[in-house]
Amino acid sequence: MKLLTHNLLSSHVRGVGTRGFPLRLQATEVRINPVEFNPDFVARMIPKVEWAALVQAADTLNLAEVPKEPTEGYEHDETFLRKMHHVLLEVDVLEGTLQCPESGRLFPISRGIPNMLLNDEETET
Amino acid sequence: MLRRVVLSRLYARLGGPAVSAGRGGRRGVASSVPPSGSTSPRALNIFDRELKRKQKNWAARQPEPMKFDYLKEEIGSRIADRVYDIARDFPLALDIGCGRGYIAQHLNKETVGKIFQTDIAEHALKNSIETDIPTVNILADEEFLPFPENTFDLVVSSLSLHWVNDLPRALEQIHYVLKPDGVFVGAMFGGDTLYELRCSLQLAETEREGGFSPHISPFTAVNDLGHLLGRAGFNTLTVDTDEIQVNYPGMFELMEDLKGMGESNCSWNRKALLHRDTMLAAAAVYREMYSNEDGSIPATYQIYHMIGWKYHDSQARPAERGSATVSFGDLARLNDTMSQGKK
Repeated sequence: MKLLTHNLLSSHVRGVGTRGFPLRLQATEVRINPVEFNPDFVARMIPKVEWAALVQAADTLNLAEVPKEPTEGYEHDETFLRKMHHVLLEVDVLEGTLQCPESGRLFPISRGIPNMLLNDEETET
Repeated sequence: MLRRVVLSRLYARLGGPAVSAGRGGRRGVASSVPPSGSTSPRALNIFDRELKRKQKNWAARQPEPMKFDYLKEEIGSRIADRVYDIARDFPLALDIGCGRGYIAQHLNKETVGKIFQTDIAEHALKNSIETDIPTVNILADEEFLPFPENTFDLVVSSLSLHWVNDLPRALEQIHYVLKPDGVFVGAMFGGDTLYELRCSLQLAETEREGGFSPHISPFTAVNDLGHLLGRAGFNTLTVDTDEIQVNYPGMFELMEDLKGMGESNCSWNRKALLHRDTMLAAAAVYREMYSNEDGSIPATYQIYHMIGWKYHDSQARPAERGSATVSFGDLARLNDTMSQGKK
């Protein structure tokens, strides 16, 4: 699971609504996977990312300092784009959990795949 | 309005695993369609989702799962074709019920930047097919998508929504996660899928067991699908129907393939066992009524294709009522005007 994925996942446990984002990340195994750098794609992801959630997740994984905000004119700042490419797309959480901030529900991450399946009681009826 | 039809059940063979070969065309929806914007009540619970997950996982773990992928491959490539017909690129895409990734393998980097693939079967995700574009795999149910609002530029789904209990809710979820001006391109089995198998089993059961086990299962006709998409909030709808005929050596080979596709029946009211006698009679009926010239038997898969857009200001809209400056009644006189001009 990449941090970009974490930034786009929210809890859908019954009764949580929009308070299910961002999920609290706990990682027990992390790997760095080199990924081809695509500056256009990274530039398009920057405005979509919920920045506070990204900074928080990066802190949890003890990654190098992530800027508090995107730099002005980031589209042309290759240093910044490469750094964000690494944080968003190359850091891969293989094992760990995602916790719903509202209900406390834990979603396991197994072999890099988050398991967001719900029990019957957690689905809305 | 939902149509109700009497459908036969499909059962496992004696001695085989306790999973029956099923038809893909049957799925349930809530009996009352909610007003726009509200969550529909879970009035019906037609399908055993846990069993469907087991069936899909079993199919994905077979030594040669690709042997049964021909149909999903074909529909996946047709959906990719429709995505290519839209003249734009999609940075973030979502595939709902992706199986082993039948759509993503046909997409390329110029069109899709990154695709999120969700399915209920973890082994399908772990055995996914190689793709040109970066993929992300997430275990999630079609009815309960774990994504915030306005996230994806494109949502695709191929041959998985027919097993969803609450289709209106699933469509509402898809609409919710799409960005404004985002598009949903999907395909699902229609009600005429596998009609030959259904009729053969029905006739054989009537003859050998003195009556078939009827049950009423509501399913969506092609025009109801348009209504459901509209109620979920989609704009500029297109719904059309395809039919694919696949030929098999016999009925048992067809049922084996359905199991290998993970498309066995998972209705709650399924019967666990069907008499061998009835199965043999059904195979004979199938061959007698439907066989091709060359001795093979045809199986028809009806596919509904759908495209829907999430509203955005920039989209074309009908002009205001009464704003016309020329009357349709004048169309008849156009010929006169043009011929006078020539003189």
